[in-house]
Amino acid sequence: MFELLGAGIVNVLQFKYLIPLFVGTLIGVVGGALPGITITMTIIVVLPFTFGLEPLQGLSAMIGVYVGGETGGLITSCLLGIPGKPSAVATTFDGFPMAKKGEPGRALWLGIWASIFGGLLGAVFLVATTGPLARIALQFGPWEFFSLFVLALSMVAGLVEASLAKGLVAGALGMIVTILGNDPVMGQKRLTLGIPMLEGGIDFLPVLIGVFAFAQIMSEVERMGGAHKAIDAVQRGVSLAVSHLKIILEIVSRPLLLLWSTFIGLAIGVLPAIGGSAANMLAYDQAKKFSRHPEKFGTGTPEGIIASEASNNANVAGSLVTIMAFGIPGDAVTAVMLGALTIHGIQSGPLFIVQNATLAYGMFAAYIVAHALVLAILLVGVRWMLRIVEIPKATLFPVVLVLCTIGAYALSNTMSNVYVLLVFGLFGYAMVKFGFPLAPFILGVILGDQIEINLIRAIMTDANPWLFLTRPISGSLLVLSVASLAFAIWQHYRQRARVATEVEADF
Amino acid sequence: MSRDGIAGLAVLAASLVLFVLTLDLQDSPMVPVGPGFYPRIVLGLTALLSLGLVISDCLAQRQRRSEPPVAVATAVAAKERLNYPLVAISFGVFALYCIALPGLGFRIATFAYVVASNAVLAPPRGLKGWAGSVTLGLLTAFITWLVFERYLSVLLPRGRWTQF
Amino acid sequence: MKRFTAATTGVALLIALLPVSSALAVYPDRPIKMIVPWAAGGDTDNIFRPFAPLLQKYLGQTVVIANVGGASGTKGAKEAKDSPADGYTLFAVHDYIHSTYYTGVSDVNYTDFEPVCMISSTASVLTASPKTPWKDWAGLLADAKARPGQISVGATLGSTSHFFPALVEKAAGIKFKYVSYEGLAPRMNAILGGHIDLTDANMTQKGKVEAGQLKFFAIATEKRNPELPNLPTLKELGVNVVYDVNRGVMVSKGTPADVIAKLESSCAAAAKEPAYAQAMKLQATDVRYMGRKPYAEWLKDNDELNKNLAKDLGLLKR
Repeated sequence: MFELLGAGIVNVLQFKYLIPLFVGTLIGVVGGALPGITITMTIIVVLPFTFGLEPLQGLSAMIGVYVGGETGGLITSCLLGIPGKPSAVATTFDGFPMAKKGEPGRALWLGIWASIFGGLLGAVFLVATTGPLARIALQFGPWEFFSLFVLALSMVAGLVEASLAKGLVAGALGMIVTILGNDPVMGQKRLTLGIPMLEGGIDFLPVLIGVFAFAQIMSEVERMGGAHKAIDAVQRGVSLAVSHLKIILEIVSRPLLLLWSTFIGLAIGVLPAIGGSAANMLAYDQAKKFSRHPEKFGTGTPEGIIASEASNNANVAGSLVTIMAFGIPGDAVTAVMLGALTIHGIQSGPLFIVQNATLAYGMFAAYIVAHALVLAILLVGVRWMLRIVEIPKATLFPVVLVLCTIGAYALSNTMSNVYVLLVFGLFGYAMVKFGFPLAPFILGVILGDQIEINLIRAIMTDANPWLFLTRPISGSLLVLSVASLAFAIWQHYRQRARVATEVEADF
Repeated sequence: MSRDGIAGLAVLAASLVLFVLTLDLQDSPMVPVGPGFYPRIVLGLTALLSLGLVISDCLAQRQRRSEPPVAVATAVAAKERLNYPLVAISFGVFALYCIALPGLGFRIATFAYVVASNAVLAPPRGLKGWAGSVTLGLLTAFITWLVFERYLSVLLPRGRWTQF
Repeated sequence: MKRFTAATTGVALLIALLPVSSALAVYPDRPIKMIVPWAAGGDTDNIFRPFAPLLQKYLGQTVVIANVGGASGTKGAKEAKDSPADGYTLFAVHDYIHSTYYTGVSDVNYTDFEPVCMISSTASVLTASPKTPWKDWAGLLADAKARPGQISVGATLGSTSHFFPALVEKAAGIKFKYVSYEGLAPRMNAILGGHIDLTDANMTQKGKVEAGQLKFFAIATEKRNPELPNLPTLKELGVNVVYDVNRGVMVSKGTPADVIAKLESSCAAAAKEPAYAQAMKLQATDVRYMGRKPYAEWLKDNDELNKNLAKDLGLLKR
């Protein structure tokens, strides 16, 4: 396994792959740092560029964006006090106070080094578990896959939002998108609603691009045109120079904190469709609970920064495991990666790592090398990042939407995907306005066809419907999904006593 | 009824209409269950879930009525005022872009879209502001064209009316 | 800053004007997409992947393979049919185009396309999962007679991988149960995990037999294949079935004659390349080249043949 990884690293270090990886990482760092531009959006923007590349080139670029974005987000969090993305929210709690107290360099580099440690620990997990998990998944027949996908959907619906009913309805709406047009087994027309464009069914990528890009951008546009809040930024002239050795020692001297935060990040990453935004808050919360001086949290304590940043980078590794072993996206970013794989005709899932060993280990290697690149980029360029952050949104948004349009169009060179983008852009924005979570919807769109195909296959192989429950793996997966729903209901009742708070939509 | 109830009713109506449409579907010659089998499960489930959403909203409504409405009112007032006209215009400009794309071709339509959208989001001041918008439009249109067509072999739409 | 702006604007305009002059150039002046209507890693993909760079060499433009799988391969067929008739979208086709039409899976017929060339022919092999108890055909036959309709076969419904086992069924007087698995690659996954018992495969999967991941029972050719001389033919075993899958390239109906001529000549040259013969040897596939005219004749005959097959098998829906 590790010789394969070595070969993968040597492979990725070729210019052919290193350049897309570097460019991806750079774009990721910038995109992560830009407030209002999430990593999902950055990866959507990068997506069309990967159509014309080799699979590993394209995926390297995407992994670079992912890793770079998770790290880049902390720059604005620490220095401007605005999270560059949802998964860096917890970093602002202690990073910004520390920076204001006159230690911006320490805050920044604590975050960067914690990200890198968290990420590299995550890499060990990624490389070590993907293979064995995939071997387990190889035993999965149609019953097991059906139950696994049902579990994924019910877990996401239950965990993402306070309201279980809305989460479930969102997931069901996603599945409805996949039943329109034609059936995936025989290609028979169904529910075309008289629209010829629908006859081929709806591709999930334009839906995903439309929903995420518009929900995010329009939520920003809503707030434009008003009076701008003055940014209470750390002064530009201040020195960011630090002793890296001291910072590394500061992190390594808290091994339990680092490991526990990494573990939380990985666990959240492995769970389908819950992104780093949950990971960093949970890790921060845990760090505070276990700390000997919880009162210092929020005033610029290093533990807060380490917990948040280590967990959100480890989250990336966790998400990559789920997508490579089971073909289920761990969050919206890996959902786009899944799309990129599909475009190149590669099926992710249990056989992925066996059949595409070079690609799989190339992806592992890209994940590791990306961390070194992030470090290099930030060592050289951290100063300029603050300038880039000042690019006005009015400039950024049209360009982002043009790239989204190209992404949708170039999928199959048809305008119909662009219209899908527009329709689901409106739909996604409406969902946000009505308080429906987007993650279960997208997962429903992605898994809908697979659920149907596996259901039909199971019925064709054996007409006995009880097999879904009596086959041990399938049965336990279904029991787990019922349990996760029950847990969500229980939690809902527990929370009802508290004041209902409006939760920011999770992108 | 609050927004949850309204959304629930809309979903309920849509799933019921689609459910009725699946009843016309013919069975498939080679698959034991026809193409309508799975849609009916999904749509039935959706209808039930959205019905649940409507009911829980009505129940919550009754509970809310018994409580003093002060908290809600202040919460609404505290919320910042959102610029919905700008959102509508932004969507409108993008919709026009989508419609014009096959006719005008990628380069012209993109140029026009970027300039228009930029001008809507941040109205340019004076000649210099407009020059900035136009430059942004030109650069976006032609750099993306160059990169995608020349280097990445991704083909972008040519104009049906303009042949460009 | 202002001068910089002016300069970039100028450069951008210049770039914009460049392609106009080249728009009148002869075919092909931009990359060409080749639609493979199945997942990557399947046999059709394995055959066209090495062919594409050779075709590219003679066409002078990049040939990009797009795997458009789904709905028994008819999703890709529909997309190819609906693409503009300009020769920039090629369709990598095989005999399924006839079978899916007659079995009612798809409305797309071979007559919706202009044939360009045929490039290969691959014989079908009856293949079993390593988890099945049978050692050879005789074991399978006995079991199938004892349990009619119980042995599961993974197939792309209505396509060649459905026809071949159906022919075996008819010739041997047994009955299978069919499960939908699109394309060879997913079928191989399912057979590896033992979720289906039998499937139609071909010599491209020879490596997996040697690794003990599959069992080959019989090949549907007239004579034994020199690559695997121990593998009996179905005819030897008393099952009178000869079946192969022929692959070729087509373009949308209405593509200009000069474009097709250019494609045909490039295709002919590419098919003669030793690199292609080598690649096909690795896939245990025969190079079978036919130009536009003979391919069109062949298609017509094959269409009739498939119609009769569908009728014989009780699958005819048209």
